[in-house]
Amino acid sequence: MVETGHFALVLAFALSLVQTIVPLFGACLNNQRLMAVGGPVAVTGFALTALSFAALASAYASSDFSVASVWENSHSLQPLIYKITGTWGNHEGSMLLWVLILTFFGALVAAFGSNLPATLRANVLAVQGAIGAAFFLFILATSNPFIRLNPAPIEGRDLNPILQDLGLAIHPPFLYLGYVGFSICFSFSVAALIEGRIDASWARWVRPWTLVAWMFLTGGIAMGSYWAYYELGWGGFWFWDPVENASFMPWLAGTALLHSAIVMEKRSALKIWTLLLAILTFSLSLLGTFLVRSGVLTSVHAFATDPTRGVFILCILTLFIGGSLALFALRASRLTAGGLFHPISREGALVLNNLFLTTATATVLVGTLYPLAVEAFSADKISVGAPFFNLTFGPLMVPLLLVVPFGPLLAWKRGDVIAVAQRLMVAFAAALLATLVTALFIDGASVFAALGVGLAVWLILGALTDLAVKSGFGNVTAGIMVRRLLGLPRSVFGTAFAHLGLGLTTLGIVGTLCFGTEKILSMHAGETVELSGHTLRFVGLYPAQGPNYAEDRGRFELIGVSGSPVGEISSAKRFYPVRQMTTTESGIRTMGLSQLYISLGDEGKDGSVVVRLWWKPLVTLIWGGGLVMMAGAAMSLMDRRLRIGAPSRRRKQASAVTSADLP
Amino acid sequence: MLFWVIAAILTLGASLAVLLPLAGGSKSASSSGDHDLEVYRDQLSELDRDAARGLIQPAEAAEARAEIARRILRIDGLASKMPVGRASVAARLVATMAVLAVPLVSWGLYVKLGSPDLPSQPLSERLAKNPADSSVDELVARAEAHLAANPSDGRGWDVLAPVYLRMQRFSDAAAAYRNAIRLDGDSAVRQAGLGEAIAGAAGGIISADAQDAFEAALKLDPANAKASFYLAMALAQEGRAKEAAAAWQALLGKLPPESPWRGAVEQALAKSGSPEVASGGTTNGPDASDIDAASSMSPQDREAMINTMVAGLDDKLRQNPRDPEGWMRLVRSYVVLGKADQAREALGRAIAVFGADSDEARKFTAFAASLGLTATE
Repeated sequence: MVETGHFALVLAFALSLVQTIVPLFGACLNNQRLMAVGGPVAVTGFALTALSFAALASAYASSDFSVASVWENSHSLQPLIYKITGTWGNHEGSMLLWVLILTFFGALVAAFGSNLPATLRANVLAVQGAIGAAFFLFILATSNPFIRLNPAPIEGRDLNPILQDLGLAIHPPFLYLGYVGFSICFSFSVAALIEGRIDASWARWVRPWTLVAWMFLTGGIAMGSYWAYYELGWGGFWFWDPVENASFMPWLAGTALLHSAIVMEKRSALKIWTLLLAILTFSLSLLGTFLVRSGVLTSVHAFATDPTRGVFILCILTLFIGGSLALFALRASRLTAGGLFHPISREGALVLNNLFLTTATATVLVGTLYPLAVEAFSADKISVGAPFFNLTFGPLMVPLLLVVPFGPLLAWKRGDVIAVAQRLMVAFAAALLATLVTALFIDGASVFAALGVGLAVWLILGALTDLAVKSGFGNVTAGIMVRRLLGLPRSVFGTAFAHLGLGLTTLGIVGTLCFGTEKILSMHAGETVELSGHTLRFVGLYPAQGPNYAEDRGRFELIGVSGSPVGEISSAKRFYPVRQMTTTESGIRTMGLSQLYISLGDEGKDGSVVVRLWWKPLVTLIWGGGLVMMAGAAMSLMDRRLRIGAPSRRRKQASAVTSADLP
Repeated sequence: MLFWVIAAILTLGASLAVLLPLAGGSKSASSSGDHDLEVYRDQLSELDRDAARGLIQPAEAAEARAEIARRILRIDGLASKMPVGRASVAARLVATMAVLAVPLVSWGLYVKLGSPDLPSQPLSERLAKNPADSSVDELVARAEAHLAANPSDGRGWDVLAPVYLRMQRFSDAAAAYRNAIRLDGDSAVRQAGLGEAIAGAAGGIISADAQDAFEAALKLDPANAKASFYLAMALAQEGRAKEAAAAWQALLGKLPPESPWRGAVEQALAKSGSPEVASGGTTNGPDASDIDAASSMSPQDREAMINTMVAGLDDKLRQNPRDPEGWMRLVRSYVVLGKADQAREALGRAIAVFGADSDEARKFTAFAASLGLTATE
């Protein structure tokens, strides 16, 4: 089974070479047969990669230590779920997951791309094949997960304990679906550049792929943030860590792409810019892969450092980013520019969004790469952390968030900003009220808190106003309004939900940062502590034994108003003997939208334990907002305009008649 | 054999994916203009829907309709420009190469990278096979699995502990001995084994814990040779060479003639003239077979063997210097061999590795002093 997987991987590499070369020649020669090869080869390549991945996963699940990667990253005592997720909890396996998703997207284009012009489809599949070939080669040459050991060791070295968590089942697959999903946008862009023209179906196709990738990337980042929050025991949700930034940059650029693709689809404007943005977004995904996988950064994500890998990925990076940008420089002038619009219009608002988002991306890029550059050239080690990003990224985001509610309400081509402002009066008044209430009654000291709450309320109500206005609120009877609301295109709901999610996340961040409280103290069993109105009694430390770890579980009782316990929270320190590593399992109790967070520190000589307590108001909204954004993207994907049929003889004639009738 | 059949089938399938479209009939190509038209038609109907819902004003709708119509007219002009491709020589060449590439690249690479003869080895199958065919590692794993399921099986721990000791898994051995003592009660053999495990884990240094275990063993069985031997070794390590020699001498007197400990004791005694002796049964020290070999050699050969071992240790520490126990063993070995200069040089290097102010450096200096060696002269 293991060797079947290895062979399937090699065969998939051979097919990716065919997929790169044959359709490309076919498109150049306008040869239908050569172009037709792309589709079946892409689907077969995906099937073989899936077989290969299944073989590796089964080796992990059955603790086959004759596979070197399994021996290095698994242990027979791990629970089955972590044995399986451990398949991608290491460098080799995660790269295999990467190409699995890459070939999956290629297969989707092949399967559902029958309504694309043949040459565009062939070129897209060729570019997708080229990316696949590069990464297959990378895997086979430097990170082969199927290297065998003979004789096989009898026990593995265990998976990194921090990764022995359900988060590993969700975070990497989602993140990769996002990262790699942008490869389709990239392939479409490069295909358009190769052809030297942009078809009308181009924008229609790029937008849903951007949506899919963006949806999964949003989920992946939110999951990663929540995982770090509860697993690392620091109580923070975002650390501006370079690895986090590596996933955040494609998200920012992808968000910009999502918006510019709307303009392109609706108005045929911003074509060249959208194309460039698609290239940049995937380039940032590749850069993220490089930063994380090359071992340039030390973090929990850098499973193993091997300089040859870093150099190899750098070569892939140079080839694809440099190649696509060079192609862009050569060909962009041949592309025709699209429709015109006034600065104050839906298009104008989306351009503004793009300006802010790309600047923010650049800011994060500088903050992430600057320390690496300094280290490379001067041997000094500097770190760029939260203060830098708070001072640069924050001020860029505030004006952007302020204008978000205006965008969806402005008309295409030329809009009336006064009329839109009137429609937003209610939301504005409510935001002002929220600001005043916060400043006067909750926290008068912090201007940031009051304005932050106001901004979040403005975003949330702005998104709801959009729905209300479009369903005719106030002008029609309630019955008609509900009917119109239900009849609205799904994409309108998508926009509203995505913006609503943004508002909820903002509210969560402001709530946690401004109203949260923290306490660090040393506690003996039986002692009580109070934090923001919650009383906790430390019951004691109890040793326990897990399948592959030993733990000291600290139990806390939440004391209610009457003085009797109303609930229990437990937090633990786990010791994994195989890796000689300790992890913290934070104790979290969710109350409404807020959480009480407990993390255990060191044990004192007198039997006391250092306990860190946090009260985190509204914290769940940070990730809940992410889920709402994902829901928005999913709704937008269901919009009927994303479903276009392939041209057929009968319909073509009908449409020719229609077009002749028009001015 | 089965693997090669599967590989052949997979290759066939992949080749067909390339071959079939190439051999397929020439489909009628729809030009990209048709596709554009389809999109524009769809945009028009969407516009109608939006206008019907009142999402856009009638005037805007009319303007947008005109704009889309202009785009449609533009593609009508472009549509005739597309050249129709024919099956050329170049196309045939590409097709042939593609069909050949699939088996050639895959089999060529696999032969270089793969291990076709190695079957999968899921752990459960390996543990289920006949014990007679299993390696020591597999037997130990099987015992571990049994003990994980029945942790209160004292006999199991008792059997496993000496195996761990022989495999030099000292901390596992110590834990196993402790479990055996806890579950099946004290015995001289178990206590002496525990002491040896603790000492082994510490790189051969007999710590207070190890000493306690040996003393407990002697209390249970005053004739326990292992405990007596190591207690004498502890004396020697403290620099009390004369007392150590006397203890070994006494032990030798009590040992039956066929005892396996005789060799080790004589070996230790032979060196007890010097202030220090090499510790026995340690991680990197000579094992029992080395010692046996050494005792049956001529003095010159023995000297050569010891020198090789010490040089090996020296070499290892050059590559992997952060090993305090290793340094102490090296210094001690040079002193034993009477090479005071090299001992001093090794001591200097050890201190340099950890820094003169470090705890390790102080430990080294104190240790060297106990051997009668000073750091610098």
